Amino acid sequence: MNVIYAQAISHQAQLAAVAAGPLGGGGGHNFGLILLAILVLGGLWFGVMRFSRGRRAAPHDEKWVRQEPPSAAPEPPEPPEPPEPPEPPEPPEPPEPPGGTAISPTRMPRAVVASGGWAVETRGLTKRFGANVAVDGVELRVPRGSAFGYLGPNGAGKTTLIRTLLGLTRADGGTMSLLGTRVPAQRSKALARVGAIVDEPRFHPHLTGRQNLRLLAAARGGDAGTRIAPSLARVGLAGRADDRVASYSMGMRQRLGVAACLLAEPELLILDEPMNGLDPAGMHEMRTMIASLAGEGRTVMLSSHLLDEVERTCDAVAIVDHGRVVRQGPIDELIRSAGAVAVQVDCAAPARAAQLIDEAGIAAGTALTDSGLTVALPAGASRDLIADINRRLVRADIDVYGLHETRASLEDWFLSVTSRLGDSS
Amino acid sequence: MTTAETSLPQGRSETAEPGRRGLPRTLAWLPTWDLITTKNLEIRERRGLMITMAVLIVLPAVLILGLRLLFHAADPNTYSPAGNPGVLSGLSNLLAEFGFIAAAALGAAAGTTDLSDGMFRHLVITGRSRLALYLARIPAGLAILLPLVALAFTMTCLVTSYEGIPNPTSVPLYGLNVPEHLDQAELKTWLLQRPRQDAAGGLPLGAGLPVGPGATAAQVDRSIDKNITMFYGDYLDSGLEAANPADNEMAKIGLWLELEAGIGFLVGLGFGSLTGQRTTTTIVLIALEIIVTPLLAQVQIPYFINGERLVVGIAMDQLRPAALGPGVGAAGAGGGDPGHLLFGAQGALGIPPMPTWAMISVIVGWIVGWSVIGAWRMMTRDA
Repeated sequence: MNVIYAQAISHQAQLAAVAAGPLGGGGGHNFGLILLAILVLGGLWFGVMRFSRGRRAAPHDEKWVRQEPPSAAPEPPEPPEPPEPPEPPEPPEPPEPPGGTAISPTRMPRAVVASGGWAVETRGLTKRFGANVAVDGVELRVPRGSAFGYLGPNGAGKTTLIRTLLGLTRADGGTMSLLGTRVPAQRSKALARVGAIVDEPRFHPHLTGRQNLRLLAAARGGDAGTRIAPSLARVGLAGRADDRVASYSMGMRQRLGVAACLLAEPELLILDEPMNGLDPAGMHEMRTMIASLAGEGRTVMLSSHLLDEVERTCDAVAIVDHGRVVRQGPIDELIRSAGAVAVQVDCAAPARAAQLIDEAGIAAGTALTDSGLTVALPAGASRDLIADINRRLVRADIDVYGLHETRASLEDWFLSVTSRLGDSS
Repeated sequence: MTTAETSLPQGRSETAEPGRRGLPRTLAWLPTWDLITTKNLEIRERRGLMITMAVLIVLPAVLILGLRLLFHAADPNTYSPAGNPGVLSGLSNLLAEFGFIAAAALGAAAGTTDLSDGMFRHLVITGRSRLALYLARIPAGLAILLPLVALAFTMTCLVTSYEGIPNPTSVPLYGLNVPEHLDQAELKTWLLQRPRQDAAGGLPLGAGLPVGPGATAAQVDRSIDKNITMFYGDYLDSGLEAANPADNEMAKIGLWLELEAGIGFLVGLGFGSLTGQRTTTTIVLIALEIIVTPLLAQVQIPYFINGERLVVGIAMDQLRPAALGPGVGAAGAGGGDPGHLLFGAQGALGIPPMPTWAMISVIVGWIVGWSVIGAWRMMTRDA
């Protein structure tokens, strides 16, 4: 009975405590309420700060001020974007990008400019990690239908730019568009036509390749699910589609990544270092795959530090270094404009020919070699200059047996560009 | 790699936007059925996780009930029937603890594996709303968790009902044989209708009142009216010891267990999405459930009691169904707050009762708060 009495008294005390305060306890001390209020106010403050910071950083925000890189050509200010433009206007001929050649879709060797414009366009795109500027006012224009290489040494900011383009990380400044659609404002619409592999392709290892693609097809929606089997077949994984990804080799995972891209029936493919980790056979397969995709009229943008691969695969390149695009354009034109073209002259009197050409001042330089005369053409020289050299030699009664144009490789040119940058800095 | 095999459909439009059909743009944050089912597939294909879930949720009931059934079948005279109210209560409380832990582990896995496996990036690149990706995890995970909890509890209920001790026809209370399954009002009516001397003879009428047949009718009525909450609590406790819970009581227990597991999952999902680390999330939530909550309940700080009540385990304890309450005479037993009508309110942790609105606010706050935090982190995280 005493126990029951004690319980009764305890219950009464508890009920009284409930009645005493909103949360009913603590002898009138409402520390819990105070703590709750602090948490709520703190959360609100944090949310407001986060929201305001996000708005400042959002490139599509009307209040956002675009950062012009120092060497960028002047452009009229970007008009505020309407909430939902019906279709992006055809971009006019772009201004000269900083430090490089402006790329015109009509000048592309294999341009498939069905609807014109740029597949990727950035203006003053900037991304910082603390004090480190990973992407520094990048002006990049990738023509539609081209195979485009984004080239640079490790740590140059290639992957960061791609991640920013795809909305994987926020930009700190600049504007960008994919297939003429502004991102991140209309990110969902833009990415519906984009396939991408960023860094090493990784998937749920406990699922099969097919199940991983089902997951991604469900996220894409629409009829992406119907493309799973064709995509797997396209990349040669149909026979291993029901094996767990954990058992896949690196090359197979790369191929599965390409299959994941194909679920979108993409107009634009962005491949980040697609050759990484592949053996020579795998690289050859990947190269063939990229060529076939580009041959179908898709735009393929691939980043790499493998110059040879880019030269074999791409029509045009952009060179990035320390977060900045230092050159961009069709590979042939870039090399020619950089003066990396020479003519081997096989003639009867090489020394006299060299003197003649030097006196005419039409070449960047001459050199006598064991095989004859080498004439370095000046930057931006056209092929007419070769005919002019031939004419001058013939008029001077020098027998010409042959003229052979030699071109530096992309690697030679890249090294010359980067060494020049090194000299200037 | 072959390139001459089946090619993709050609003739696509240069300007058409493939995919994204079905939901209007304003509802793009809603997960689609496909997204939910594939996420469910991704979770349930994790064998280790599923085995852990089964071990934590189903195995205790299978083991305990199975052994009791076996022993009783082998020697009915020595071993009592497999089911009884104590077993039901014990297994349910165990299921509540383990269910929360399993749910937290499942939520943490659901919230982090896309990140750890590198799939989050692929998913973001699809252009699908990140909020939709987060929300898809909720039904996908609950569809695994809740049936497991239901399975374990159903087994317990079946054994209790069909292989248990026979139900007594009345509940012993202070020497009186009170009918079963009365609510508080019915108990009060029943007590008031008893002959005064019978009631007064057994009821603890409180200090200052004559006890026994000497009490007047008015005194007895006043005492019953005043102490009915305590009487009802004792009645429930006595009934718990003596009889199997009624079907509606079992249903309440089941719902409470599902709620407990659901909270564990949602908190684990939100916290996991915030940290991105499965192991850390799971460890923290296990510590919350089996260390922090009991500790706060044990070491009550009078001037911080309301702060302690912000812990979800304390609020859930207040919502604990009557049939899972502490045994009769348990020191510091809570319960009996007339405001807690939802499940019967028999807190076992000993924290003084809190108003229903506060209790519900804390529970809803944890669910909504962690979901918002997890979704926010999902939407802002670098992929």
